[in-house]
Amino acid sequence: MGKKELKVAFLLAMRSLQRGSRSSVILTILIVAMCFTNMVFLPGMFNSIGQNITKQVVDYEVGNVLISPKSGEQYVTDLDATLALINGMPGVERATPHYSKAATLKYRQRILGVSLRAITPNDEKAVSPLYTKMISGSYLGDGDTGEIILAKMIAGDPSVKEEYEFQASLGGVRVGDSITVEWANGYTKDYRVKGIYSTGYWATDTTGYVTKSDMELVEGRPLDYADYITVKAKPGYSEKFIKDELQQYGVSQKVQTTTDLLAKSMGKALQSYAIINMVSLFVGIVITTVVLFIVITIKTLNSRKQIGILKAIGVDKAVIMHNYGFQVIILALLGIACGIIMTSLLMVYMTYNPIVTPDWSASLYLTPMDLISNSLILFVAAVIAGYVPAWQVSREDIQTAMRS
Amino acid sequence: MIEIYDLRRIYRMGDIEVRALDGVSLEIEKGEFLGIMGASGSGKTTLLHMLGLLDEPTSGRIVIEGTDLSLLSDYEKAMFRLYKLGYVFQDYALVPDLTVMENVSLTAMLRKDRTEGQYRKDSVEILQKIGLYDRRDHLPRELSGGQQQRVSIARAMVNKPDILFADEPCANLDSENSRMVLELFREINEEMQQTIVMVSHEDWHKDYFHRIVRLKDGKVIADGTNGSSAH
Ligand SMILES: Nc1ncnc2c1ncn2[C@@H]1O[C@H](COP(=O)(O)OP(=O)(O)OP(=O)(O)O)[C@@H](O)[C@H]1O
Ligand SMILES: [Mg+2]
Repeated sequence: MGKKELKVAFLLAMRSLQRGSRSSVILTILIVAMCFTNMVFLPGMFNSIGQNITKQVVDYEVGNVLISPKSGEQYVTDLDATLALINGMPGVERATPHYSKAATLKYRQRILGVSLRAITPNDEKAVSPLYTKMISGSYLGDGDTGEIILAKMIAGDPSVKEEYEFQASLGGVRVGDSITVEWANGYTKDYRVKGIYSTGYWATDTTGYVTKSDMELVEGRPLDYADYITVKAKPGYSEKFIKDELQQYGVSQKVQTTTDLLAKSMGKALQSYAIINMVSLFVGIVITTVVLFIVITIKTLNSRKQIGILKAIGVDKAVIMHNYGFQVIILALLGIACGIIMTSLLMVYMTYNPIVTPDWSASLYLTPMDLISNSLILFVAAVIAGYVPAWQVSREDIQTAMRS
Repeated sequence: MIEIYDLRRIYRMGDIEVRALDGVSLEIEKGEFLGIMGASGSGKTTLLHMLGLLDEPTSGRIVIEGTDLSLLSDYEKAMFRLYKLGYVFQDYALVPDLTVMENVSLTAMLRKDRTEGQYRKDSVEILQKIGLYDRRDHLPRELSGGQQQRVSIARAMVNKPDILFADEPCANLDSENSRMVLELFREINEEMQQTIVMVSHEDWHKDYFHRIVRLKDGKVIADGTNGSSAH
């Protein structure tokens, strides 16, 4: 195939698209676009759910890197020295200690068992956006004792009867109310509710927080240990970098990145996502292939006479085949371009109108790489689908073609 | 020089067998302006299709300028048509999606021995000659039958092929236009020694032919130079 042949094939393709049925061209492009959108929609949504869960886990659970007791030990020990060491490392925004302890909350007739958490509120601000999620009252201060902040779901809503509650609550505690907390070690005291928050993350929304200072009173001694330490990375530093660094500095505890942690818990979910993604990819490819195959087959059948004429005046069959090839390429490219536009519009729309459930919220998360790889897959499928009938028809002998 | 040896083309449709060509042998000299005449169904188009490599004979052989057509591959046949032959079809056979100009220049666009400037100039020239230059951007369906026929003639002639086959090129033309086409054929035949094989029904066309071959039921029944045995 020389340049002249390709030029003629392209001319024939353009003219056929321009002068053929406008509506069939538009419909074909639309179908390819829909297939493309279908191919990337579910994976994009799952990506976004994954991103969302990861962000929540980072924000409210473990930061970027979690330091937990090495095996066989109950606590991360030598807390002050460890915190000082980590906080001094490059790339670390802040490291904060966390405690969690079972407790029974009592308010009027309601009794509720939860696992409460203790934090160092000021440092925690650098790690978790919890302090921005207060819906009434205020966040804890470092020295607060006898004060507690509660999740909205724990505080409860007085207008909902106990038997209709989705999650057991204290039935409508408000800021300033006093609740009784009976800690697992038997220590019991009244706490003033300082604030009520709601984060949208399940684990955080079913607990409450006190300060480390308060926990020291509960335990009856200064705490030079923690249940775990969360580490927040500075922007631009990877979790992996921080983890490696921690291990190099000789932090002898168990160090895990959020990715490590999620790989385990989300592995199963990701597997089922992968299956759904494969199905939607497969369906997209099959529909596109079949549609383009039919479109080109009909085109070739309708223009058998024209094909005969072209051959009769000396146009080689390769030129005729590439004529249809170019038509498919043009249709596929336009379809994919429309698909990318449709997907982008959906991405924008879903950013402002995400699908929200108690566990996660989803918009569309697609990288340019996702779009490119899906475009390529679809394009290749389309071209194959078009070239098969083009090849078949270009082989027909002139007599049969011309007399049709 | 075209040599045809005992050419047969038999169409079989179920039990019925149509002998469209039934043992035709002919020699056509280079530079000859040959007329093929005969009643409808006598095999004229079939013969021209064989010569134009559009169909394969059931038996027999065609040799054009030393090339045995039966030995050519599909690609070689396409190239043979592109570089050596021009063909005017009985039903014009224009490409419906292409304009008049595009139809005329399409084959020239494919030829390696034509530059863009050259084939544009040639196409314009031939369209002017047949009086359709001002319709160059029209589609075939926007033209009358006669006009389409003239475009088909222009397309066949634009590359100045060694051999021009024309299947009733004047069938849809008035006598004035017919005369113009025949004059054009005579001109290129005389000036460039172009071989022309033309099928015709019209008796008065005889005056233009050097030689006339008459077919009947797929057989040559008369073969003679103009004014002699062909009558
Ligand atoms: N594809 C075909 N299948 C069957 N029979 C055919 C086919 N092509 C031609 N024939 C038959 O072959 C015979 C010769 O046909 P051809 O077209 O060569 O005639 P012609 O001399 O060109 O006639 P006309 O002057 O009407 O164009 C006819 O009887 C025709 O019916
Ligand atoms: Mg005929």
